[in-house]
Amino acid sequence: MSDHFIFLMGKYEARVPKDRLYAPNHMWFRAEGGAYRVGFTAFAVRLLQDVYFLDWTVESGDVVAAKQEIGEVESSKAVSTLHAPFDGTLLRFNRELMKDPTAINVDNYGAGWLFDFDPKNALLLTAEDYILRLEGTWDETQRQIKGQMND
Amino acid sequence: MTTNRITVVLSQTRSKNPGKRRLEEEIATALLLEPGIEFAVTPNVYDLSPGDTGLLYLNSVKGHLILLSWQYPRAAHWLLDRNGISGKQGVTMLKSLGEEDDEESGGANEEEHRGIGPVEILDRYIFCLDLRAYDDAGVYVEEIKRIAKEVSVKLVPLAGLRIDSDQSDSKPDLLQRFSAPEKKGAGPIVLGESMVNRWYPVIDYSRCTNCLECIDFCLFGVYGIDHKERILVENQDNCKRGCPACSRVCPENAIIFPEHKTPAIAGAPGEGPGGLKIDLSKLFGAPSAIELAAMERDVELVKDGRAAVGLSVGIPRRQTGKAATEKDDLDKLMDELDSLDL
Repeated sequence: MSDHFIFLMGKYEARVPKDRLYAPNHMWFRAEGGAYRVGFTAFAVRLLQDVYFLDWTVESGDVVAAKQEIGEVESSKAVSTLHAPFDGTLLRFNRELMKDPTAINVDNYGAGWLFDFDPKNALLLTAEDYILRLEGTWDETQRQIKGQMND
Repeated sequence: MTTNRITVVLSQTRSKNPGKRRLEEEIATALLLEPGIEFAVTPNVYDLSPGDTGLLYLNSVKGHLILLSWQYPRAAHWLLDRNGISGKQGVTMLKSLGEEDDEESGGANEEEHRGIGPVEILDRYIFCLDLRAYDDAGVYVEEIKRIAKEVSVKLVPLAGLRIDSDQSDSKPDLLQRFSAPEKKGAGPIVLGESMVNRWYPVIDYSRCTNCLECIDFCLFGVYGIDHKERILVENQDNCKRGCPACSRVCPENAIIFPEHKTPAIAGAPGEGPGGLKIDLSKLFGAPSAIELAAMERDVELVKDGRAAVGLSVGIPRRQTGKAATEKDDLDKLMDELDSLDL
């Protein structure tokens, strides 16, 4: 019995481990001591490709609102602002990543974790539900990305 | 005063950055000595209050005008228009900040915008040059000389204009100070005064369709309607400093905040955030433009001691016609998928 699911992005196999929960914005949530450790899923990292810049615009300890901008990431192929997935408190950031964000590409489910978070109203998905969501939105996601490349 | 003179106004930077100040001084020094060019300096035009000397001077210029400022040309052009300084958009060879080489500059890329247009414009050209684009004063001076030559050749359109010296309501003493070369080393006199850094929207009427969404959305009374039933930025100083919310709500991207850090909001050329990279923000949980506008508006309401309203007030009901066109291309997209580096 495998410890993860696979979601196919074209030919790429994105891993979805069963040992944690997921948010709709493609971040994983792993329960640790009363709060959650949060990082990018393989799906997110596959779209980003090589991450070379990561910056946070809030501080450890800040209380944030859902969708509030908390930072930005830039990679060889993409840019993105980063947003709080839910209301809650940002407990601490992965300081190692700030020096070298390539851990996001090398080990996104382990050493590449982003921050610890204590959510107030979290609607977290199981690995199965996250896969279903990926399947349901994959066409639209590709359309959006292809649409941007045509602009 | 000859009828061929072109007026060049330099709108100063707000910042104390010595590099910027130096660029301004170098340009000023070169232009003060240049024959055929009438040169003046004002504080940042965006910060001038109605009735300010600097604005009065700009209003007195009826011939071709070149404005050098630390803003995108589109922002500068419509800012001038709002102050009654109108004209046709002159095309410059220079780029604005961040513009790529293969993009057109100036008014040429306004494509199929179906805005209500300015009220009425003088039959003359206004050239807006972005001082942030080049470090070298020589680039600006050469372009100004090129433009001056170009407009002086076209004497026919100019002939119909009433030029500076014929203006009975101009400020003759100010013009006098400026037509005579200044004492060496003293630099030009700065016309006008800016007491404070202001913050308010500027409407690009080449894009504005008068849909009036902005006046519904802004709960601080910044917008109004003029006597021709056109949208107007009526109470500029009601605008909450730093808040760009209404610009996100405008369906035509016609609202500009010239000093905002995001190029698309500050009046950069083009339709929106472009670039060679994919923007994954929506996938990674960013709010939609409308949601973000409502969040920003709530911040300002709460700061004012008022209640947050979320999406319950003044939110445009927009048609999303986009989905329809993309469905036709869906089969093509799926075929092309494997050729993408996904």
